[in-house]
Amino acid sequence: MKGKIAAVALGVASALALAGCGGTTPNAPSSSTPAGGASSAASVAQDITFWVVGSDTPTKLREYLVEQYKQVNGGTLTIEEQTWTDIVTKLTAAMPDAANTPDVTEIGNTQSPTFTNIGAFSDISDMYDELGGSKLLQSFVEVGEVEGKNYTLPYYFGSRYMFYRKDVWAAAGVTAPPATLDDFNKAVVTITEKNPNGIADFSGFFIGGQDWRNGISWVFANGGDLAKQGSDGKWTSTLSDANTIKGLKQLQELQLKASMAPTTAKDQSPWLYINDTDSDIVKDDAGNVTETTPTSLAAATIMAPGWAHWSIGDLVKDTAGKDVREWNTEKFGTFALPGNDGKPAPVFAGGSNVGISAASKNQEGSRDLMKIIFSAEYQKMLGQNGLGPGNQDYVSSLGDDEFATALIESASNSKLTPAAPGWATVEGSAKLEELFQKIADGGDVTALAAEYDAILTPMLNGA
Amino acid sequence: MTTTAQPVARKTRHRVKVSRIVFGVIAIILALIWVFPVYWMLSSSLLPNVILTSSTPRFFPWGGSLDNYKAVMQGGTFLKALWMSLQVTLLSVVVAILFAFLAALAISRFKFRGRKGFVLAILFIQMLPAEGLFIAQYKMMSSVHLLNTVIGVSILYIAAVVPFTIWMLRGFVAGIPAELEESAQVDGCTPAGAFFRITFPLLAPGLVASGVYAFLQAWNEFTIALVILQREDMRTLPLWLRTFITASQARETDWGAVMAASTLVAIPVIIFFLLVQGRLTSGLVAGAVKG
Amino acid sequence: MASAHSDVTTIHVGGAAAPPVARRRKVRLAPYLLILPAIIMLLLAMGYPLGWQIWASFMKFGLKQQFGAPPDFVGLANYVTIFTDSTVWGVVGRSLLFCIVNAVLTVVIGVALALLMNAVNKAIRLILQIALLLAWAMPVVAAMTVWIWLFDWRRGVINYVLTSMGFNFSNYVWLGTAMGLYFVATVVVVWMSVPFVAFSIYAGLTQVSEEVMEAASLDGATSFKRFTSIIVPMIRPVLMIVALLQIIWDLRVFTQIRMLQDSQMPLDSDLLGTYIYRLGVSSGDFSMASALSIFVLILTIVFSIAYVLQLVKEDS
Repeated sequence: MKGKIAAVALGVASALALAGCGGTTPNAPSSSTPAGGASSAASVAQDITFWVVGSDTPTKLREYLVEQYKQVNGGTLTIEEQTWTDIVTKLTAAMPDAANTPDVTEIGNTQSPTFTNIGAFSDISDMYDELGGSKLLQSFVEVGEVEGKNYTLPYYFGSRYMFYRKDVWAAAGVTAPPATLDDFNKAVVTITEKNPNGIADFSGFFIGGQDWRNGISWVFANGGDLAKQGSDGKWTSTLSDANTIKGLKQLQELQLKASMAPTTAKDQSPWLYINDTDSDIVKDDAGNVTETTPTSLAAATIMAPGWAHWSIGDLVKDTAGKDVREWNTEKFGTFALPGNDGKPAPVFAGGSNVGISAASKNQEGSRDLMKIIFSAEYQKMLGQNGLGPGNQDYVSSLGDDEFATALIESASNSKLTPAAPGWATVEGSAKLEELFQKIADGGDVTALAAEYDAILTPMLNGA
Repeated sequence: MTTTAQPVARKTRHRVKVSRIVFGVIAIILALIWVFPVYWMLSSSLLPNVILTSSTPRFFPWGGSLDNYKAVMQGGTFLKALWMSLQVTLLSVVVAILFAFLAALAISRFKFRGRKGFVLAILFIQMLPAEGLFIAQYKMMSSVHLLNTVIGVSILYIAAVVPFTIWMLRGFVAGIPAELEESAQVDGCTPAGAFFRITFPLLAPGLVASGVYAFLQAWNEFTIALVILQREDMRTLPLWLRTFITASQARETDWGAVMAASTLVAIPVIIFFLLVQGRLTSGLVAGAVKG
Repeated sequence: MASAHSDVTTIHVGGAAAPPVARRRKVRLAPYLLILPAIIMLLLAMGYPLGWQIWASFMKFGLKQQFGAPPDFVGLANYVTIFTDSTVWGVVGRSLLFCIVNAVLTVVIGVALALLMNAVNKAIRLILQIALLLAWAMPVVAAMTVWIWLFDWRRGVINYVLTSMGFNFSNYVWLGTAMGLYFVATVVVVWMSVPFVAFSIYAGLTQVSEEVMEAASLDGATSFKRFTSIIVPMIRPVLMIVALLQIIWDLRVFTQIRMLQDSQMPLDSDLLGTYIYRLGVSSGDFSMASALSIFVLILTIVFSIAYVLQLVKEDS
């Protein structure tokens, strides 16, 4: 699954204000929007439903889609928000059911292969070029593709990079971000050993034991992969591949020597651990300071999707008096995880795809919506809201701040999980969490790899 | 008191008194343990997240405010979900109790062919794991156009609680001696009249108890609702709460808001319970037994 | 009450006017008419899904079939897989153990609390009852959220309290092992289920006449003897069904385990409910999930048949 982008939505209002993006009037369609508007003007007005997952898509963008759809198609677009936890359940139940299927739905990029392979989505190859063609993020296009035909296309992408504590790194004697993967691995172990602030259970690099979505980067960075497709179309789990093993061993080393995260922890909210003081001072009811709580700082480095930066920083009050995190460049920094070849290490990209349900009775209306989503205007709006736009021509709309730079850099070499028909089954079975936890617990990597190859290969091929 | 003629009685009374005190203390301690999570939810719902996530827990809501509630109530989604939950729960409870009561009457007051089979069926039907049924339930509800409807989800809830409520009520009906009714019939009542005059009042605690059970099941259920009620505007409170929590967790879980949302979902149940609790323990039981 | 009585009288007058023959037939038909609504309801809601489940358990029915591909008949293959899969047996074993531990704890504590309610004065009884009602009234999703937070490894109150009592529980990960997860689940399940048991038993006790209770508490018999020889026989019907229900519910415990697992999922922590869900909904293997559901149903019946028959025998 693609993880959580929701933070963006929450932070969006302030982001717009801060970045001055608020000035862009989303309602004024540029000359290029909506693409193909003329051709669809003749179609019958259809009322359609679009499922978005999580609160990732900000309200402004939703309103824009609804308005544009009314203009182009004349029908009503209803946008319904589903949750990431339950989306597979709901898609499984609803998509085959013409009476209740969403007409267009967002789907996690790693969930896409399973659903496209069983024919849940309509073939939209004929409009592929119109919607962006080769400009679309190709790794995402691939997970929506079956035998050369396009079923789902990239909606937005995120990427994972490192957030670190400049002050803690410096205090431990590491002054510059690492240039290679080996440097990084060494640096975080050193920082853990030095533990300059003397914090109990301190992690130089905090990564949960079951957190394979981040951990996989070490496999990718060493040239390994999770699975390969043979010439006969069959998928094989490649955990026992020498490069994969090498990456898993590096990860195990980090888990044992640099990370004090529970081996059962997933990739949920790692930013909690690199923030300072949740609360400085405790006052009694008379307002006297009774105690100062210790800081919550427990990690010098975390790996997280770009939107995590909304949750990292010093604690301050915003204008409404609410507690918010304010990024402090003195204390916090970002860098893309480096590879050993001078390029950023390939990391697992987050994000999602979008496609039209094959069972939908409103194919024409759905196609109109797809055109609006992939219009220049909407793609730019995604970027302005911190979501990597599916069409690479509009990546510059992300801006050029530290986070946009790290996002674009890390995404430049990002990878996805295998586009195998059974991938959703693999995720649903939680076997990867199991494997990564066993590795973090110090298990024999080679033996585990062989064991899980045998489990995963049949899953990858079965739909 | 000065006479020494009744030392034994005094000792016994003394012992009874001591044991009463000991029991009282134990009861209070247990009450505190049971209520603590509820208290913690309430207390936390009044505090800002900064305090809640500090390494020293705040046990009392000093300096609390209703800000979290204001934040949660924004957008009106809570009230919509509340209305939905009220409809589903009310319909489920009323129908389930009525049907269960009729069936309980049949199995506790009549001997008939198939009675044993029916009793076994209602016991065994509860042993089927519900987790495997979702897809089939969805297909069924979809084919009769009852997805995203109060009736659709209520039918599934009624079926889920009816077996147990039948058995529960049967226990209460059976617990009332039939001689009472018979003697009333001797006094000139018909069987129906005897039942409603004598048995029905005695059944009140049973009806209340099984009503409470049905209420809770319907109010709390969320896996069936997840599949059957997919539309946003048809969410029941547990679905609303889950969505709220998931959205909050995606960033930095705002525990204060999450606890406020949880409290809002719990409050209607607590009110209902406190209302019923008075009836359950005080007047009705004693009144029915003695009167 | 008064109006109810007059209504009843009207009905009774009408009934009395009916000819004797018709009335006899009505009596014979009456029980069937009385159970009819409940049966219709159960058939409506469970008939098709149960039938589908049995059918699917003999098929290969995955996501592909869900999206329209014709399913293949595979006979008993799914059941064979279940019987030969050590994972399944591990899940079954853990579920049985979890069920027994939880059911016993819940019933014992529940009965103890019901007796306690009887033994204390009215004010304290009310306090205890309200505390239990509050716990009982907590919606599961809300309750689980609170408990998960209380047991949080980093900011949980429980670790804080234990640590300040001198035990080193700082950053202890309760949900880090399957045993830890089951411990937390047991605490939560017992906490949630005890009120129901306590109130049911207490309701049973209130049906025991006060004279009997008073006589029992005043004569010389020890508390324990009093309990086993007078109270248990009187609350036996309630006790039996409450115990059976706890066994049924604890065997199919789902929401609590799933929500704990959503927080952190240690290795081999699945119980039957979550395992069936993982097979069916998460991994899309509906036929295996169906077969496993049927298997669990049969297993539960096998384990409880003696008990249920006894229950039914006592009932008639």
